[in-house]
Amino acid sequence: MSDNNFEPHILAFLCNWCTYTGADLAGTSRLQYPPNVRVIRTMCSGAVDPVFVLKPLMDGADGVFIGGCHPGDCHYQTGNYKARRRYVALQEILKSAGFDERRVWLRWISASEGNKFAASMNEMVAAIKEMGPSPLRQDWSV
Amino acid sequence: MNTVIPVENGETLVALRGFLRQLLESGAVEALYVSLGVDNGLVAPALVTDPALLDQADPLTPVMPINGARAVSALTGKRAPARLGVVLRPCEIRALVELVKLQQADLENVLLIGLDCPGTYELTDYVERQKTGQANLREYLALAREGNTDSLHDMPLRHACQMCDQPVPEHTDIHIGLFGAGAENGLPVEIDDEIAESLQLPVVPGVLPDGRQTVVDRLVADRRQTREKELAAMRERLDANGGLSGLFATCIRCHNCMTVCPICYCKTCLFKTASFDHQPEHYLTAAKRKGATRLLGDTMLFHMTRLNHMSLSCVSCGMCTSACPADIPVGLVFSAIGAQVQAAFDYRPGWEISETLPLITFQPNEWTEVGETR
Repeated sequence: MSDNNFEPHILAFLCNWCTYTGADLAGTSRLQYPPNVRVIRTMCSGAVDPVFVLKPLMDGADGVFIGGCHPGDCHYQTGNYKARRRYVALQEILKSAGFDERRVWLRWISASEGNKFAASMNEMVAAIKEMGPSPLRQDWSV
Repeated sequence: MNTVIPVENGETLVALRGFLRQLLESGAVEALYVSLGVDNGLVAPALVTDPALLDQADPLTPVMPINGARAVSALTGKRAPARLGVVLRPCEIRALVELVKLQQADLENVLLIGLDCPGTYELTDYVERQKTGQANLREYLALAREGNTDSLHDMPLRHACQMCDQPVPEHTDIHIGLFGAGAENGLPVEIDDEIAESLQLPVVPGVLPDGRQTVVDRLVADRRQTREKELAAMRERLDANGGLSGLFATCIRCHNCMTVCPICYCKTCLFKTASFDHQPEHYLTAAKRKGATRLLGDTMLFHMTRLNHMSLSCVSCGMCTSACPADIPVGLVFSAIGAQVQAAFDYRPGWEISETLPLITFQPNEWTEVGETR
């Protein structure tokens, strides 16, 4: 696949109360963002088990995005704080295991931030295009 | 307080058995978790209630069939049913501390008996040497006294022991010293006052031998240097092309590393369920996409998930390396990655019982850049 027409596969886990609603707002506001993102709705960013992130990564996804409420705004009080620590741990593990941790993003996007959601998707797709396809896409040995 | 276990005729093991027997007979403990000698000269861990069986007790033979923290977890659960004494190595105590934090074991009602650990050998190596009469406890203890157990008749220590920089047990109620201790002066013991009183042990002040600290300091410094060197070399391999998947290329997915890991406590591992059983078409599609697909599938996912579950609590006991039939340096990989993750949270596993596990707590104002940058 030449880099010119590389279209990244990105999986997005969005929290029901904030980012998913933010994505909905982006849609109803007719904001444009690239169609490379496949959205999976979770009840909370704290409900995103790191294995949800690892499975697609190991199977060759080019990026994984986690969206949650801003710190202090979690519908379940503290889910996003826990998600943040898990994310930090996962980043360290990915980095020290020789995988590119920059393929996993975490963003706080509220229900009213449709603009921020669309901008984040644009930003991530551009960044991943810059990085090129995940080497695990073609790696049979994982 | 400090006291001493007198050793007669250089029979360290006999002296130690007598001390353990005293603990059980006096009622200081109702049962004792300790290794017992078995026919082939090796040991098997057991929970002992009959003092007579302590004539077979053998916490000194330098092999480690299991990480005893797993056993103490089974023996205590939410709370030990009786006053238990448990004889453990330093890395077993560290793993136990993590299991307590994970709510898989309890220290209330448990008397922690820790011995200095000069290092252990691979079971198969030790069996071999036993057969030819080359492995000898007295010789081992003489080396241990000087902190020189790195090789016994060319038999190397287990890899994890070669780079263990924490050979002195922490959190003990009874600490029995081996470093710097000569059989002629008996075994130095640091013991909880109350227990010492109930056993009517004599106070022997300044019991730790003069040379001990020097031996411990040198041993720790040497091992730490080895550890740093080995971890750095492993990090280089991990950063190299292929990284983790290159290292685990020969993994046969026996799950031994998970089975023997003291931290992996789940009753049913996710990877023993049908979660990752795919339809036959899935494998064909994957193979068509990449040209080939590895079987069994999800091998790297298994190791990455295990890292995610246990790397913060990894105490570098190395049971995984010893158990790996494919000779993969699993423990070194996990120690190298674990050390990075632990550093990120400024967390030292097995160290402070009151310190909360990093992933079950949080501070509102930390990593404030996360969630805004990428």
